[in-house]
Amino acid sequence: MATPPNRPAPPTVKQQRADKRAQQLEAFKKREAARKRNRILGIVGAVLALVLVAGTVTTVVVVNLTPPAAQEVDEALVSGEYRDRVQTYPGLDSTHVSSRVTYEQEPPVGGAHNAAWLNCGVYDQKQQNENAVHSLEHGAVWITYDPATTTDDEIAALIALAPTTYSIVSPYPGIGEAMAISAWGAQLRFTDVADPVVEEFLGEYWRSPDSPEPNAPCSGAVEGPGRVS
Amino acid sequence: MTRTRGRTVAGLVLAAVLVLVAGFAVGRVSSGAPPPAPSTDSAAAGFLRDMQAHHAQAVDMALLVRDRTDDEVIRTIAYDMAVTQAAQSGQMYGLLDAWGLPQRSAQPAMAWTALPSTDGSGGHHMDASTPGGMPGLATPEQLAQLRAATGDDAVRIFLELMIPHHEGGLEMADAVLVRTDVPQVVSLATGIQRAQRTEVRLMQDLLANLQPAD
Repeated sequence: MATPPNRPAPPTVKQQRADKRAQQLEAFKKREAARKRNRILGIVGAVLALVLVAGTVTTVVVVNLTPPAAQEVDEALVSGEYRDRVQTYPGLDSTHVSSRVTYEQEPPVGGAHNAAWLNCGVYDQKQQNENAVHSLEHGAVWITYDPATTTDDEIAALIALAPTTYSIVSPYPGIGEAMAISAWGAQLRFTDVADPVVEEFLGEYWRSPDSPEPNAPCSGAVEGPGRVS
Repeated sequence: MTRTRGRTVAGLVLAAVLVLVAGFAVGRVSSGAPPPAPSTDSAAAGFLRDMQAHHAQAVDMALLVRDRTDDEVIRTIAYDMAVTQAAQSGQMYGLLDAWGLPQRSAQPAMAWTALPSTDGSGGHHMDASTPGGMPGLATPEQLAQLRAATGDDAVRIFLELMIPHHEGGLEMADAVLVRTDVPQVVSLATGIQRAQRTEVRLMQDLLANLQPAD
């Protein structure tokens, strides 16, 4: 009697069904695992992307909003005789340009500038250098203060000492404690609004015949943001 | 002998000096040398400074209304005012400059009206309770109204502001004419009076003929 070969008996129909179910279950589990993995990858990716975007935006905003660190007060510039304190800058360029200009002085006292001048007056917002410099060319003076270090009373005093025509008063973030009065080619820094040298500067430079275009207008052009009067 | 000669020489030198001085005086008078420049605290200088600021506002208002109306009569009047007053401002600037006087004075506006008049009668400081301290100036709010208006509204605001502005200018011209006899300033102030008196009448007529506001 021959022993039947050791072969598994052909699966029954029931077994076949069970196997198929097991395979389907296996495949389903694999798909689920892949889906889960993808979801985690997706979430991690999205979070990373968000962090990247938020970080970029924050950096840009902070860099643009934070005023440059306030300058140290140079004692030699804010005490002593008027003549020793006035800084003069001869031979400035007066080309008209439509681009932004990097000025060597801060606030600027002259140089290339926009074809349109800033209307003289009192402003409570920062003004465009390129327009204000053109007003200096017409004989105006520009009184500037750092809003971070100047009190409301001091601002009121600056407005009171500014001539009613041919003068601009505006904040200039970053110049620190030393306020500035500028004319074309000249600047005086001071920390006390009652400092008599300011009047001396006005006597010498306000509407000076030595400005490049004395008596040219200081109205009828650019009305800057935040005009107060 | 030596003493007599010494006296003669001294007398001759003295005579020579006298002749020179007399000659210089005669020459100076006959050559029509310019009168001395007015001082920085004079009524003439004060008027030249204040009137420039007063005129500057008139120029601004005239140019504003010219940009805001198609009315040819108003546009022509505005053009006339802007160009005339800008030219007069240039004259005033130039006179101060030629006399070596600063454009700036630490004195408040109109302080020069406290100086006595040339006939010796006392001065009295004109009290101008408008911004800028001068008679007839428009306030920043009034200027903003003009800037915001168009058409007949702009014309009405312009006329209502410019009539008192001119009247204030006339007061200032009257005030300097009794306080100075500097020829250039007398001529300028007289010219301002003549032109602005006529323009006030014209503007009053135009305002009366303007259609009433809605």
